[in-house]
Amino acid sequence: MIIQLVLFLVLCIVALPIFAILSIFSAKYRALARRALYCVVRKATLRPCETGLDDEIKAQALSGIMRLSPAAAGFVSRNFQAFSFLFTILLIASMALTAQGLYNFAVYGNCNGPEGGFCIYNGLQNPLFLKTPSTLQGIRAGNPNASITVFEFGCYTCPYTQASEDQVLSMLKKYNGSVQFVFKPFPLPNHPHSLDAAVAAACAGDAGKYWEYRAALFANQAYFMEGGDAAFKATASKLNLSGFDSCYDSRKFLAQVQTTLQEGKECGIYGTPTFFVNGKAFVGLDSGNKAEAEIRRLLGN
Amino acid sequence: MDSSKLKEDFPVLQKSKVIYFDSACTTLKPRAVIEAERQYYEEVSGCAGRSAHALAKKTSELFESSREKVAKFLNAKPEQLVWTKNTTEALNLVIRSFDYSSRKKIATTRLEHHSLILPIMEQQRRGIVKMELMKTNSDGTFDEQEIASAIDRSTALVALHHTTNTTGMKAPLEKIIKIAHENGAAVLIDGAQGVPHSHVDFRKLDADFLAFSGHKMLGPTGIGCLVGKSGAFEKLDSFIVGGETVETVHIGSVQFKKAPKRFEGGIQNYAGAIGLGAACDYLEKIGMKNVEEHEKRMAAKVMDAIHSIPGATIYGAPAAKDRSALVSFNLKGVGKHQVALMCDSYSKIALRSGLFCAQPAMESLGAPQGAARASLYVYNTEKEIETFKETLGKIAKLGK
Repeated sequence: MIIQLVLFLVLCIVALPIFAILSIFSAKYRALARRALYCVVRKATLRPCETGLDDEIKAQALSGIMRLSPAAAGFVSRNFQAFSFLFTILLIASMALTAQGLYNFAVYGNCNGPEGGFCIYNGLQNPLFLKTPSTLQGIRAGNPNASITVFEFGCYTCPYTQASEDQVLSMLKKYNGSVQFVFKPFPLPNHPHSLDAAVAAACAGDAGKYWEYRAALFANQAYFMEGGDAAFKATASKLNLSGFDSCYDSRKFLAQVQTTLQEGKECGIYGTPTFFVNGKAFVGLDSGNKAEAEIRRLLGN
Repeated sequence: MDSSKLKEDFPVLQKSKVIYFDSACTTLKPRAVIEAERQYYEEVSGCAGRSAHALAKKTSELFESSREKVAKFLNAKPEQLVWTKNTTEALNLVIRSFDYSSRKKIATTRLEHHSLILPIMEQQRRGIVKMELMKTNSDGTFDEQEIASAIDRSTALVALHHTTNTTGMKAPLEKIIKIAHENGAAVLIDGAQGVPHSHVDFRKLDADFLAFSGHKMLGPTGIGCLVGKSGAFEKLDSFIVGGETVETVHIGSVQFKKAPKRFEGGIQNYAGAIGLGAACDYLEKIGMKNVEEHEKRMAAKVMDAIHSIPGATIYGAPAAKDRSALVSFNLKGVGKHQVALMCDSYSKIALRSGLFCAQPAMESLGAPQGAARASLYVYNTEKEIETFKETLGKIAKLGK
């Protein structure tokens, strides 16, 4: 009895969220969603469903398969409850993944988490909605009196920030006199040692070798993400950075990094790197190229 | 009779290309019937028997000429025909208003539609009558001995089907009516599945009452008839009273009109009645003998189609000659609703599945959980049965 109940319940469970979502877009699914809900409630309270919804779903599914292959329809029919279970498991798995995605979205600003990439929720994330930073706090380069200001929110352990580094260096080289560049560390919390890397880079800057240290960080991200403190210190040692270890151990620039991180959150940063060129934002893998194109446009080239 | 040609008269079939095997539930409507209803609403739309203006007169004329047509269709007189909403209302009218003062027994069978058996059960619950069931065999056939033992001098009414809606089989009415009348009992026939599918001559049938619906014989929904023998209506008390059922009304005294008007309270379904008249014209044009022939041929083909499916069960007697083109069946390993739903979604074949508003009947036929039902009519063809057979064969394989 219990097994039979569970077998019939699964179809309704699968149907309910599907019809509920479809009913947002079409009224004809609302009645089906109501029937599925009724069915779930009835079955969950050990009462018969009586809506015939399970029969209708089964008939529709089998008819479709029968048109393609009667043998396959026979196989599905004989194992229909097993398939129902499978779909229920897939449904639960997809619900879990959705929940994870929502969590990632809330925490990291991208449903895929720190790795980034295509995210269905990104429809809500549009560069147009980003706020331009209001301070120049960060690593500064270029001409402070230039008419063009470029901000970059980046993470030293982010592969996309790494991939944009060539464009950043190219920008600084080509438009050095025409552009003021401000790098704002935005360590992604899920990347190992991302915050440490930002602190280490700031210490390297304090020792006068920020750009060399930055180049080393981007040149071998995996090494730093695995090696942590020892890797940061070893690199500093290779670059002969005096006072690095005490600076790093005392977390001298932690507050400064946290300030830019907070500023980034307030600006609505949802992925790294994010460039702002005179207030126009570009996000993600190809953002460096787009930012450079915007500079060219502004300079009339 | 060319069913393929007849199909062209049915707009639903032209538009949807459905294979309609659910005519026992309701039939499709030919253009002539739709046109008759449209004509009433667009060109007349008055009320009959009341006002004296031209539209009212035209309404009365159309309404009464329809009564004549329907009565003639059954070889009855117009004054013997009472308009009702449907068969259910007609059956309720007789069972609830019959005079049970001297006899209290109603004989019936388990094979009846709920519309017949429920009013009897209700009257029994109120202590007005006692229900006596004529035993029938598990294949839906009757035992002559049982008929005789169920009907006696205390029987007021014998109420049963002409043709069942579960097997399409006919009751041995000639014998039953004879026994009933020998015992002084009146006979009420549920003709819902009989009148549309076979030539019914009311005078020859010799029943006291015959009830049937318009929508099961190509007519509109919401119109039915109760036909009564001369004098039979006198045994009935008033049922629904109101406008047009009386000659005079004073506070404290009322003089009712004679049948059929006595039973037609309030504004009637004129469009429905006119549409049913058009349906009778349509069927007359085909010829009820031809309809019967066609049904027999279709019944045999459908039975063969279902019999060819291994593990299929057909309810009722196996011989097709005893049936109208209506077959209830189950397939091994495939639920009744699945069969009907898959026929619909796979081949656009409209079947019915369930208990067909005849639960005691399905129980007595050995299908307490119900069955799928194919019921055909004049617009169905042998080609459609071929599609049905092919579809059913594929569905049956799902159960293996």
